Amino acid sequence: MADDVVDVLIIGAGASAAAFAWSMADTRMRILCLEQGDWMNPADYPSTSKHWQVRRQIAYNQSPNIRQRDTDYPINEDESAVSVANFNGVGGGTILYSAHFPRFKPSDFRVKSLDGVADDWPLTYQDLDPYFAQNDKNMGVSGLSGDPMIPYHDMPLHHIPIGKMGDAMGRGFNKLGWHWWPSDAAIISEDYEGREKCANLGPCNSGCAKGAKSSVDIAYWPLNQRLGVELKTRCRVREITVDENDMATGAIYFDENGIEHHQRAEIVVMACNGVGTPRLLLNSTSKNFPDGLANRSGLVGKNLMFHPWGMVEGYIEEGMMSHLGPQGTCLLSQEFYETDTARDFVRGYTLQVTRGQPPVSVATNGMLRGDIPWGNDHHAAFKRYHGNSVLVGICCEDLPEEVNQVTLDPELKDSNGIPAPKLTYRLSENSERMMAHGLARAEEALEAAGAFQITPFGQVRHTGWHLMGTARMGGDPSRSVVNGWGRSHDVKNLFVIDGSIFVTSGAVNPTTTIQALALYIADQMKNNLATLFD
Amino acid sequence: MANVITSDNFLNDEQTKSLTPLLNCIVPPDADSGMPGAGELDFIGYVNEFAPEAAAGIRSELDELNTAATEEAGSSFGELSGADQATVLEILRHRNVRFGRAIVVQAMACYYQDDQVVALLGEQSPPFPEGNTVHPGDLTLLDPVKAAGRRYREA
Repeated sequence: MADDVVDVLIIGAGASAAAFAWSMADTRMRILCLEQGDWMNPADYPSTSKHWQVRRQIAYNQSPNIRQRDTDYPINEDESAVSVANFNGVGGGTILYSAHFPRFKPSDFRVKSLDGVADDWPLTYQDLDPYFAQNDKNMGVSGLSGDPMIPYHDMPLHHIPIGKMGDAMGRGFNKLGWHWWPSDAAIISEDYEGREKCANLGPCNSGCAKGAKSSVDIAYWPLNQRLGVELKTRCRVREITVDENDMATGAIYFDENGIEHHQRAEIVVMACNGVGTPRLLLNSTSKNFPDGLANRSGLVGKNLMFHPWGMVEGYIEEGMMSHLGPQGTCLLSQEFYETDTARDFVRGYTLQVTRGQPPVSVATNGMLRGDIPWGNDHHAAFKRYHGNSVLVGICCEDLPEEVNQVTLDPELKDSNGIPAPKLTYRLSENSERMMAHGLARAEEALEAAGAFQITPFGQVRHTGWHLMGTARMGGDPSRSVVNGWGRSHDVKNLFVIDGSIFVTSGAVNPTTTIQALALYIADQMKNNLATLFD
Repeated sequence: MANVITSDNFLNDEQTKSLTPLLNCIVPPDADSGMPGAGELDFIGYVNEFAPEAAAGIRSELDELNTAATEEAGSSFGELSGADQATVLEILRHRNVRFGRAIVVQAMACYYQDDQVVALLGEQSPPFPEGNTVHPGDLTLLDPVKAAGRRYREA
């Protein structure tokens, strides 16, 4: 079968691939997805074990360099201010994501026109709006309609409970007169499509044993397979192959036994995230593409964007049991999202209020800081902190800069000998100023909510969840890697559908926008099948 | 369950005798709440299963403790009275504020995942399948946010 030609070959089985494959399935074309990781077994997730608080620290760590599963690839992060969080398996990053699911806003697609920085996207919020809605339905998204910070849209399921912590923070934001709203979440708050509703286990970010979190191995892939999409695991792609006419011909991959195969295809679709996709393109060199496939612009790997992430912690003594409930989703404030010329930075950020820490973290951190003592006072002190912690994250919009990039490490390789990615990344002055502003506002919000012992941690390194910009969209082949619907300017049957194609980063978690974009691209392809390669 | 010497005990006799009283100095039992002391739990078994890489650091800290106890009170820590143990710890922790970090980190992980402790805290362990009940939130708090009207920029 490896020598058969498939119509569409998708590399990677994460968020974008799942949505794209679902949409393309109605073409009845033969679609094959190659994934380097495994199917996950929810029964193995840490929350099924009483020692879940430590079991998640290694095997389910968000960093591939710590996790070191044989399905992971290493990443050289020595020259990066942010380290990558990802997962390699069916579901990709959605296996460990917190499922916080806010949409990009209309202004996010018009950054150059509105604020004179970076570039506009070759599409608008309105273009993506129907795809956001379709994806919300497919994934199972919960939320409260009517947020004045985003165009009105109906939510398929009612919002996730915000808890007493949400009430306390909401009162604080009200005191300041700031915007806030319960988070949209790709977590089902009601029984939905054969899945049981969320039971507030808590640790969504080490895998959801309940199946209530809409990771795409649950929400999309079983359906995709019923629709005829093929998915092969433990297939690690080394290189996209190309012919003398600059057309992709397929992919060379290693199976789980290390045997090399060449899978031929009429269309190749990259869905490996903002680090994996440029890594694979840069590894795909040939006579016509000596600097990497689809890289005549020289921009493959350039303009890497994360969201610089700050963190402030406080405690509110209200017996909130703040650590219960979906870890990454409580509420957000976008008071400082849009550009304000009175500030010393352009663009803005989201304040993201997430649940508190579980008992082991509260005790360990409290002991190491000296807040929870040794001896007879230990229990009373622990009680003061336990269930009362509140974390406020500052999710800053990152602007594209070519100096921030993914390249190939000259020495580091994965277990199949494929060169590993190397990141070069630093925060811009704009990001530094934005971060300082956000940290101060997060402290202010916690004070208004009545918190004590407010601790700003500054910019936090281990927060590289959102990987964007390294194969950007655009109309000008000299300034972008793919066109306005994800097709490579240089290779007419090569598409990129993951966060690599983002032109700018917004200031919210990108998964819903990545998936809406993947659905949009699939529709563009279906609408242009007759002239797809022109 | 009290700490016991097992075939996979990574401590020598002197270290073992000092471990239980040290753990109980870190987290003593609390009669009012019924919380056990950290020395009552199977700390060694926990470390063996979940943090074997921490064993060397734990041994080193126990050696440091016993050296200090011998210098200050003439005997290893496990042989001292409760009052002398407290005095030795005070001196040692004053001299080295980082003393005990390796043991504390593992003790907290062992203690706050113990069945009895978790039950007394009112937690589900493991969280799956029972889950937790969370207050839905008071949505009337959003009234002023709604009243402020549209806030996003048209583009």
